[in-house]
Amino acid sequence: MSMREEVFAAKDTHFDLPQAFAEANRCLLCYDPPCSRACPADTKPGEFIRKLRLKNITGAVRTIKENNILGGACGALCPTEDLCEKECAATGIGLPIAIGKIQETLVKHGQKTGFKPLEASRNREPSRVAILGSGPAGLACAAELAKAGFQVSLFEERPEPGGALRYGIMPYRMDPELLQGEIDELLSLGVDLQCNRRIQGDRGAEKLLEEGFEALFLAPGLWHSRQLTSRGPGLRGWYSSIAYLQAIREEKFGELEKEFLNKRVAVIGGGDVALECVQSALKLGASDVFLVYRRSYTQMPGEEQQRLSALQSGVHFLLLNQPVDFITENDRITGLKCVRTELGPKDDSGRRKPQSITGSEWVLQTDIVIEAIGNQAESGSNTWYPSVRTDQQNLIRLEEDSPRTSRKGIFAGGDIARGPALVVTAVEDGKKAARSIMAYLR
Amino acid sequence: MTQTQPDLSVEFCGKTFFNPFLLSSSPVSNSAEMVARAFEAGWSGVAFKTLNSDRIPIIHPSPRMNPYDYGSKKLVGLQNVEQISDRPLKDNLLDFLYLKKHYPRHVLISSIMGFSNEEWAYLAKASEDNGADMLELNFSCPHMCVEGSGHKVGQAFHLLEKFTGTVKKAVSIPVIAKMTPNITDITEPALYAKNGGADAISAINTVSGISEVGLEDLVPKPNIFGVGAVSGTSGPAVKPIGLHFIADMAKNGNLGLPLSGMGGIETWIDALEYILLGASTVQVTTGIIHYGYRIVEDLIEGLSDYMTQAGIQTVSELVGRSLPHLQTTDHFDLNRQGVAEYDLERCIGCGQCYIVCRDAAGQALEWDTANRRPRLIEDKCLSCMICSFVCPVPGLISYQEKDSRWQRQETPVMDPALESGLKLAPPPWL
Repeated sequence: MSMREEVFAAKDTHFDLPQAFAEANRCLLCYDPPCSRACPADTKPGEFIRKLRLKNITGAVRTIKENNILGGACGALCPTEDLCEKECAATGIGLPIAIGKIQETLVKHGQKTGFKPLEASRNREPSRVAILGSGPAGLACAAELAKAGFQVSLFEERPEPGGALRYGIMPYRMDPELLQGEIDELLSLGVDLQCNRRIQGDRGAEKLLEEGFEALFLAPGLWHSRQLTSRGPGLRGWYSSIAYLQAIREEKFGELEKEFLNKRVAVIGGGDVALECVQSALKLGASDVFLVYRRSYTQMPGEEQQRLSALQSGVHFLLLNQPVDFITENDRITGLKCVRTELGPKDDSGRRKPQSITGSEWVLQTDIVIEAIGNQAESGSNTWYPSVRTDQQNLIRLEEDSPRTSRKGIFAGGDIARGPALVVTAVEDGKKAARSIMAYLR
Repeated sequence: MTQTQPDLSVEFCGKTFFNPFLLSSSPVSNSAEMVARAFEAGWSGVAFKTLNSDRIPIIHPSPRMNPYDYGSKKLVGLQNVEQISDRPLKDNLLDFLYLKKHYPRHVLISSIMGFSNEEWAYLAKASEDNGADMLELNFSCPHMCVEGSGHKVGQAFHLLEKFTGTVKKAVSIPVIAKMTPNITDITEPALYAKNGGADAISAINTVSGISEVGLEDLVPKPNIFGVGAVSGTSGPAVKPIGLHFIADMAKNGNLGLPLSGMGGIETWIDALEYILLGASTVQVTTGIIHYGYRIVEDLIEGLSDYMTQAGIQTVSELVGRSLPHLQTTDHFDLNRQGVAEYDLERCIGCGQCYIVCRDAAGQALEWDTANRRPRLIEDKCLSCMICSFVCPVPGLISYQEKDSRWQRQETPVMDPALESGLKLAPPPWL
């Protein structure tokens, strides 16, 4: 393993089983557990922790996996301090129970011991369902349908399944083998996974309904980076967050190191993706990494733990700075022109709006700029499913707070329907869509 | 205000122990090297690992012990098949000489076990001749691999009396008889020991038990190459049994012998409970197996501070102090009743009280789902207090006596209309 591979390799941050058991012993085993109520994917922490406490370890793994096919990934990635752990009653007398770590540990334990709690239904449903996108929403939907006996085909454009979990999350945050184990378990239910299958073009997706599929779940995610200006893609030293993170996940360390070693790197944005970019850039050997964000620290949408972790690892936060343009020499980035901002009155999002301070332009010397200012739907994606209603940003409009789209038989969920959101919310969407699809087909 | 340091010393069988804390006869008192370190740590005496006469070789089963854990709490109990000393008698006696030479203020109790009359006498005499201050007769090991020994003797009262008599004739130092809890009424063998001439009683040795069964090999633990056996259970799990037996002997007017208590002692509170129920010295093994000799610091400091705060000068004032409050259950005043009282200001909303009251008590709680709080229906409360046992907030739930007019609601029947089908003869005494 090269030095760089090692830096990016998976880290064992979960508990071992005795530690998880000790943590479960702190649990108050609440009535009507508030943690369970707070889990969007209904992973039932109150139940699996009780099972662990009573040494029903296989049962605990079963509870997680039956309710959340990505229970391990969610355990590793969920901002639990804002979800289950936020509601933990033990907070009233001390620290909340480390629910996420227990969850990840139990799933890893199941994988290590070869315990597979999920079974395909003996009842075979005649209907075939197509799912577009193998990110968390697609995987969760596929799991529910397969368990109920439906024939599921899962179409993935990229070479490997997992979507943002595979191409957007660094191994040091989540062990890729954990994800692979969860996907393998899904495939053992008989799901037909087809990678390198891009379903696009005029009515590309809708045509599936004419090819023997009786229902379609759209969960392609958001894979198009927003851009500061149209100049970026033509410049050397410019990266979109998507391309940059994918290069790391594909372990192109040789090329990346050539670009990043001892260089100054500016990452634009304040979300989880930006935080993933700054921390990985440091690991690639950049001399200085700047996070440039136009709002304040508390307004950053990125998870608090990741923000703190970035600060602690030495990232320079340039807050209240709006990047406006690139400084270049021979199409090579040499700097990022910024203007300082101050917070004015509240905007539509309820946050105080940053306003540029006239005359405060300055140039941040930098060799590389990574833009992580948000992902959007691919332009023209609406033409793949023209009878599905979409909004101006090509996000799919759902009917009456359900997973149903305007077209009968087509359902949607995950980021393509709700905009950028958590993994666990995408799982929730996938589960809900599966229930809705089953009701539709039966 | 200056405080007088309380005096922890106790008289036991004519000897002064500078504190009541002793190592019991066990793996923790196996050699002078170990005992010397224990003495340095603060223990006042030792019941040395039970001597054997070399006539029958002692071989320990392997492995010797198994932990009994509760939740993530280690060693709430300990299972062991350790035998008496496997060292040559000569080596143990040389260690006696060493301890008496270097620790003359400490009390050396020689624990012995014979397999015949003459062997008991031989071991007793050898112990006395080499400096033992007193003897403890091991009538109580529940897992000797030599047939007819250990607690088999302690369960055969006439044998116990005979061997005690034999030892008493052989030596002039005090003799303690160590009792097994694996009988019904401990006062019976204790009185036999007294008839044999015993000067004191120590109890309890380990309780016969099986702590765990291996689920892979189906062998009870410890697994001695495919074989498990009923053997000695010790540790905090057995303290209630030990306290019971010490109290029974202390309350028995015919016995009247000093008592050395043991069984599950880890903290000064455990030790004090034994003392309050009649023990004047206490002995420890499993607590040391778990934490080491250092726990004696906390036994000493904890008991001293308690005595200072309670204004008690000597340990002897504490011995048996709880016995007047220990009565049989027919002495309870059943006219006085009470209920649980909730300080809901401090409630954190876990709802464990609601679960246990519903499933194991009087269904006296309602659950306010929106606010996550219990609501007590007072006249259904059984005052079992289990809600307070599971409550994570100390003191939130307390006991409150009700006045004499207060009445508890009777548990309703599910369907009174079924009475027509009831088959119940009138009681024959009417």
